[in-house]
Amino acid sequence: MIERDAGEDRGGERTAARPGGYFARFGVTEELIRRTLAAALSRGGDHADVFFQHRVAADLGLEDGEVNRAWASAELGVGVRVVKGDQTGYGYTEDLSLSALVECARTAATIAEGPSREAPLRFHVRGDLPGRYPLARPWDEVRPEEKLPLLAGLNARAFSADPRVRKVNVHLHDESGAILVADSSGRIAEDRQPMTLLSLSVLAEQGGRREQNGYNVAGRAGFEFYAPDRLDRIVREAVARTAVLFEAGPPPAGEMPVVLAAGSSGILLHEAIGHGMEADFNRKGVSIYADRIGKRIAAPFVNIVDDAANPGARGAINVDDEGNSAGTTRLVEDGVLATYLHDSISARHYGVAPTGNGRRESYRHPPLPRMRSTYMLPGPHRKEEIIASVRRGIYCVNFSNGQVNIGAGDFTFYVKNGWLIEDGKLTRPVKDVNIIGNGPKALEQVDMVSDDLAIDEGGWTCGKDGQSVPVSQGLPTVRVASMTVGGRGS
Amino acid sequence: MTTLLDVTRRAAELALRKGAGETAAGAYRSRQVEVAWRDGRIEKVTEATTRGLGLDLYVDGRYASVSTSDLRPEALERFVEDAVALARTLAPDPHRRLPDPELYRGRPDADLDLEDPSYPALDAGTRRREAEAIEAAARATPGAAAIVSVSTSVSDTRSESALFQTNGFEGTRSGTDFWLGAEVVVKDPDGRRPEEYAAAGARHRAALESPEAVGRRAAERALARIGSRKGESAVLPMLVENRASGRLLGSLFGPLAASAIQQKRSYLEGKIGQQVGSALLDVADDPLLPRGFGSRLYDGEGIAAKRFPVFERGVLRTYYVDTYYGRKLGLAPTTARSSNLSWALGARPLDALRADLADGVLVTGFLGGNSNGTTGDFSVGLRGFRIRGGRLAEPVGEMNVSGNHLELWRRLAAVGNDPYPYSAMRTPSLLFDGVQLAGL
Repeated sequence: MIERDAGEDRGGERTAARPGGYFARFGVTEELIRRTLAAALSRGGDHADVFFQHRVAADLGLEDGEVNRAWASAELGVGVRVVKGDQTGYGYTEDLSLSALVECARTAATIAEGPSREAPLRFHVRGDLPGRYPLARPWDEVRPEEKLPLLAGLNARAFSADPRVRKVNVHLHDESGAILVADSSGRIAEDRQPMTLLSLSVLAEQGGRREQNGYNVAGRAGFEFYAPDRLDRIVREAVARTAVLFEAGPPPAGEMPVVLAAGSSGILLHEAIGHGMEADFNRKGVSIYADRIGKRIAAPFVNIVDDAANPGARGAINVDDEGNSAGTTRLVEDGVLATYLHDSISARHYGVAPTGNGRRESYRHPPLPRMRSTYMLPGPHRKEEIIASVRRGIYCVNFSNGQVNIGAGDFTFYVKNGWLIEDGKLTRPVKDVNIIGNGPKALEQVDMVSDDLAIDEGGWTCGKDGQSVPVSQGLPTVRVASMTVGGRGS
Repeated sequence: MTTLLDVTRRAAELALRKGAGETAAGAYRSRQVEVAWRDGRIEKVTEATTRGLGLDLYVDGRYASVSTSDLRPEALERFVEDAVALARTLAPDPHRRLPDPELYRGRPDADLDLEDPSYPALDAGTRRREAEAIEAAARATPGAAAIVSVSTSVSDTRSESALFQTNGFEGTRSGTDFWLGAEVVVKDPDGRRPEEYAAAGARHRAALESPEAVGRRAAERALARIGSRKGESAVLPMLVENRASGRLLGSLFGPLAASAIQQKRSYLEGKIGQQVGSALLDVADDPLLPRGFGSRLYDGEGIAAKRFPVFERGVLRTYYVDTYYGRKLGLAPTTARSSNLSWALGARPLDALRADLADGVLVTGFLGGNSNGTTGDFSVGLRGFRIRGGRLAEPVGEMNVSGNHLELWRRLAAVGNDPYPYSAMRTPSLLFDGVQLAGL
């Protein structure tokens, strides 16, 4: 319905619905948006926005050799937000009628207490957004019959890869849909947002013992994402990571150097600094990084970015959920803390441009500063010298989850697969160990950074304040001089 | 006004019309209001009524499950049509069908008292006043000069749901819940800003703890974090406060699911009738507790709710068996998910259990970490206090506890008299002998 730069000023005349634009099919017109914003601004406020979302997802599951379960879901809804200073009023509904939207808007408006403001007379649709999700085979054109052999093939290959395999589970998820955010400045941004995720889980048995592991991949891509080399890797990794567990045990407990393998160990950044640098925590004074902008927090060869622009990455976005441009934000430049991750409220508070980090799980939530794809740039060392430098420590390869207390700074990440390092060599495999440290201390102790940056292709999800967003992370091989390894014995 | 049960009946009719042989239809509607407050002002007000519909479709021996919040009639019709077509592409699964209607019989007649009739009278002014009062109490706590920030919240939900299954089940339920929360951040002289929180919830508003109690508790907890250090690695008794002990119990209960057992991903497979924990591990699934957060008269499959023992004096008695995995395993169904849990409680509160310990750690919260459901290995971050000579000593954090559940629960040495009232798990404080703590 929203045409790009319509060009005609019809003044107060009611604008008829126009063809084009994803949400036209749901009866969303410029008039509907204008009246909603008018209701939202009925008590004033600095800013108001209306966020429409449609998301359609399909899931297929293989268990015990058969693709015999499927899930389909559809979400359609809208959230209306009014902002006054750093205060927010929010309402949401699945009912896209004008009356429901106006009621929602009035609820949100209660945050303000002043005279009303005018809703914009004209809207302009952003035509300048990048295309970071190159798609060859959109999901709504892929028939279920095409997907089935993909799962069946992975199942067969996993069983043939190792005679100890007893159970295999494959899960394929895909989603498509769109968001549209219109705000009180008259700006409209629309983004069509594909996503896919595939996980392969393997259980093996040997000598009465069982071990389980898996591998998953995700991206903003279509069916073409599942190319032969990726499928090879999924099977190889899932089986290898399971098999090695039979030889693995817990590492010793206590402080020691920790070497993080390139790739998904970006979880270190996500927990140690990423959340602590979200601007809302800092403007509230509750983050351990709250007064450290401009200060050196790491060695000069440490550069950390949060990036919206990795093409096809799970954490990539063309625009954030407030309609702001999203690019590459340098958190740490040459070891110095450079900028927070801003949403509009925080950007206004600090008097800086928004950084495109305003994201939300769905129309049911207001946006908050969130990460996108967080990684460290390559450094001056080499992986081999990093491992060789450790007399007694741990090499972490594969992770499941992490968490942080951003005020105290304590953060953790859980290692599914790793290796003990003894006298500079990888000796025995280790498993199922949680590693805990303090964010700023850990960053100070990043004393070696290799040149082999890898952005992990896994399906990471970040939770904050009761809402989840998809993210990516990456790291080169890195050494942290000391962290506490939650092993057993000494 | 269309009731939710009407919505489910019509959705079920639609599914059958589109080709499903049988179906389960569930619908919900929920109104949520929240006032978030921070440092003397409103931070955020949120209000919404949200709804959704789900269908389990059984089509020519095949199974698909769908959910939607797009309830426009044409959209719903197309959605169900596509879902039935999707189901037809799948492999048949002889274990997938609606539950045996025998399981619906004997639905208890109890009044679980889950809905507070005073709910509609709750107004914005009251929420705001309470949010403010929580902060005022936090800032009146001795030592409050070290407080950096206080965030509080007052929220409430009224929800209703309906379930209709074409082989003879109909059920509706509704309930309310009310929550107060506070998060307090304090300044440690070394530059850290440790945070702590307190929460209180209830099905009926009059039963809620006072805002003052919540604010005070959050502030006391946060102030007690100042000076927290990483302690030495050691093998020590670990006393876990009731608010945190549910985390450990969750890793014991997850592997009781029949799906995990059937997929060989449970360290509790084959252990029915065996000693898994000490005699103090004595927990029942208890769906009929009045006002319980997990209380219900029937479960998600319509199975009539009844209380059953999970662990009896340390011996594992029952798995959580849904009808599908029950058929795959040849086990009679119990229920898919836990309701409320009721422990055989100890006689003494947390302070008394602590006073008995010459040396140990009190855990007030866990951080991150994970538990391997296949092997029972676990490793989790923690914060709390060192215990010396029966007293709370220095605060500790940035530490970890690791072990294996098959070993851990045998070391359960004491159980408190204090089930945590603000969750369905209702776990009391728990004392474990000799666990591996990692720090320095």
